[in-house]
Amino acid sequence: MSPAHPDSTDLDRLHAAVKREKADQAPENAPAPMWATFLLMIVAVIAGAQLGGGNLGGLKFSVNNPFPAPTPGDDIRPGGGGGADALDPFALAMKKGAGGYAVCGGCHQGNGAGIPGQFPPLAGSEWVTGGTERLIRVVQHGLVGAITVKGQGYNTPGGMQPFGAAMSSQDLANVLTYIRNSWGNEGTMITKEMVQKVRDEEKRASQWTEADLKPFADKNVPGDIPAGPGVTAAAAPAAK
Amino acid sequence: MQSDSITPDTVADNVRRAAIDKSVRGPVLFLFLNGAFWLMLATLLGVLSAVKLIAPAFLEGCPYISYGRLQPAHINALVYGWGVQAALGVMLWIMARRSGQELRSGKSLLIAAGVFWNITITFGILGVLMNKSTSMEWLEMPKWTWPILLLCFLTYAWPMARMFGRAFRPEGFMVSTWYILGACFWFPWIFITANVALHCLPGLGALGAGINAWYVHAVILLFFVPVGIGAAYYFIPKITGQPIASAQLASGGFWGLAILGGWTGMQKYMGGPLPAWMPAVGAFTAVMLLIPVGLVGLNHHLTTLGKHSSVATSPTLRFIFFGSLFYPVSGVVLALISTFWSGAAMQFTQAWYAFQMVSVYGFFSMCAFGAIYYIVPRLSGCEWLSVRLIRNHFWFSVYGVSTIVIMGLVAGWQQGADLNNPAFWDQNFMNHVINSRPYVVARAVAFGLISFSNALFLLHLMLMVAGLGRRSNAPTLLHREHHDEQALPTGSHA
Repeated sequence: MSPAHPDSTDLDRLHAAVKREKADQAPENAPAPMWATFLLMIVAVIAGAQLGGGNLGGLKFSVNNPFPAPTPGDDIRPGGGGGADALDPFALAMKKGAGGYAVCGGCHQGNGAGIPGQFPPLAGSEWVTGGTERLIRVVQHGLVGAITVKGQGYNTPGGMQPFGAAMSSQDLANVLTYIRNSWGNEGTMITKEMVQKVRDEEKRASQWTEADLKPFADKNVPGDIPAGPGVTAAAAPAAK
Repeated sequence: MQSDSITPDTVADNVRRAAIDKSVRGPVLFLFLNGAFWLMLATLLGVLSAVKLIAPAFLEGCPYISYGRLQPAHINALVYGWGVQAALGVMLWIMARRSGQELRSGKSLLIAAGVFWNITITFGILGVLMNKSTSMEWLEMPKWTWPILLLCFLTYAWPMARMFGRAFRPEGFMVSTWYILGACFWFPWIFITANVALHCLPGLGALGAGINAWYVHAVILLFFVPVGIGAAYYFIPKITGQPIASAQLASGGFWGLAILGGWTGMQKYMGGPLPAWMPAVGAFTAVMLLIPVGLVGLNHHLTTLGKHSSVATSPTLRFIFFGSLFYPVSGVVLALISTFWSGAAMQFTQAWYAFQMVSVYGFFSMCAFGAIYYIVPRLSGCEWLSVRLIRNHFWFSVYGVSTIVIMGLVAGWQQGADLNNPAFWDQNFMNHVINSRPYVVARAVAFGLISFSNALFLLHLMLMVAGLGRRSNAPTLLHREHHDEQALPTGSHA
């Protein structure tokens, strides 16, 4: 057994660590500095505020939420979501459509220019700014085969997929309104009702071809245009 | 210093303390070593779970390491594997030393309880990885584990309470043992309350979530914090040779924590389906806790004033000093995530994880490391082998945990503020997740550093426990001025 083994009887070696220790001492009575007292009082004031100062619910047993409740009828969404300060329907569709466009941008690109030879552009495209009926049908049911856009030929393998089944008519209308009024395009708004009307009329399961869509090239789906370019007087909101 | 004047009294005193050390040797080394193994595992799981947050497709085919199982396994290994075991070891040794009592009997019972504890959490954490989690934060291990863990804990708490009861207790002299005795009683209380409420009472509904949040806060504030402060109050005077500056501040800090610690937690669900007074009381207490935090911090500050040179040389004091610096930080983080003003942005974000890490790792674990560096040479009869290993352990831990905490807070603030910002009402949730990715990358890197430091620590501790440390009468000190990797025989600061 080595002399330094912990079970050894060599007390001097064994207790080396113990011997160099300092003795335990009783605490002293240094006074707390005055500034510390003030700081801790501020802490107590902040803490007390959690118990119901200001607008917070705090210790009221009848309250279920410590945060101030919105006054009834207030809509906390920006623009009020239907209140007096609501965005007009066109601006709202543009805002929401910008979000929905993320799906289209994968092929048609964020600037709507498409990719030459692969994906046709939306910016300045007669398919987009032309008749609304053809545009709705393309997005609702998809499009396949050779097409001509702005004088350029495109024939993407597989064509454009139908997006209608996965989107509500409101979302679809928002996106279509957005592409018709971005990147220099200008066109009438497409409303939820218009999309719904096309959906009700046409239930095909296969994609369109350019030839199939010829009859709809310049047709607009009838319906009120509540705001934006070509607004119809009947549906315009009352002057504020 | 005692060794300056050797009298028969000091010799008797040295022999008595050596006998105390020897009486607790087995259980304490067992707890430290097993704790260090769990800590290693916990930090590796921490790296993995951060990686899974960055790249969810990483090792996609393996269901056992999906994020939802990894993160609880990581936290449970950290809390029950490392945290509680290291805490019990530190508590047992300080309580025995401070009360001047040997562990008279039941040493093998303590080891048996330690073995059962380790087996139980092994199966518990395997259960979490095999999809048997209870989905309750910090209580994810299957519910059969809790009575066993409780019994094991009580097996340790009982002899400590007995030691305190038998000790000669001069007025104001027992600062560190107040905290340790408190931790002995508070942990069973919290553990029983939370487990009985969550596992045995039917139909708690939303209140169950509140109790769960209370449990996490209470374990931190009434178990990890007292053990950390107890160790700091013991080792700072012991190493600097300076008595604790103020008995009044010490007692104010203790009673403040004892009274306030159990009231906080429900503010985690502020604005949620709990009656408003519950989060209000929780938020009030969380901020009020800055008072005991401030008193303890002030006391340490007054005690160590002018003694900072020993922070540079003594490994123990260095870890304890930085651990104690993290205590006020954890108090401020708790207040930040708890007030209604800042908490509304920070709730349910990475800031919550930052709070857990700053208290369990930044504060508690750093204090426990310091204590281990002091205690183990006395139990194993040899000195720490390498200054470089200790120094690397220290710096990688400090940088790692600071990074995790700062990144967690910033990421939490950004996530919460973005989610609450009305201008982003139509944003996809995934955008917020992607925006916080850089912070999680930082977390993964930081956990890599911590894992490295803990590998060094584990290796060092294994060598020490095996009795393969340095054979010397001189302590292993970190000496900054000379860039000297050798231990210096200056004797006084260990």
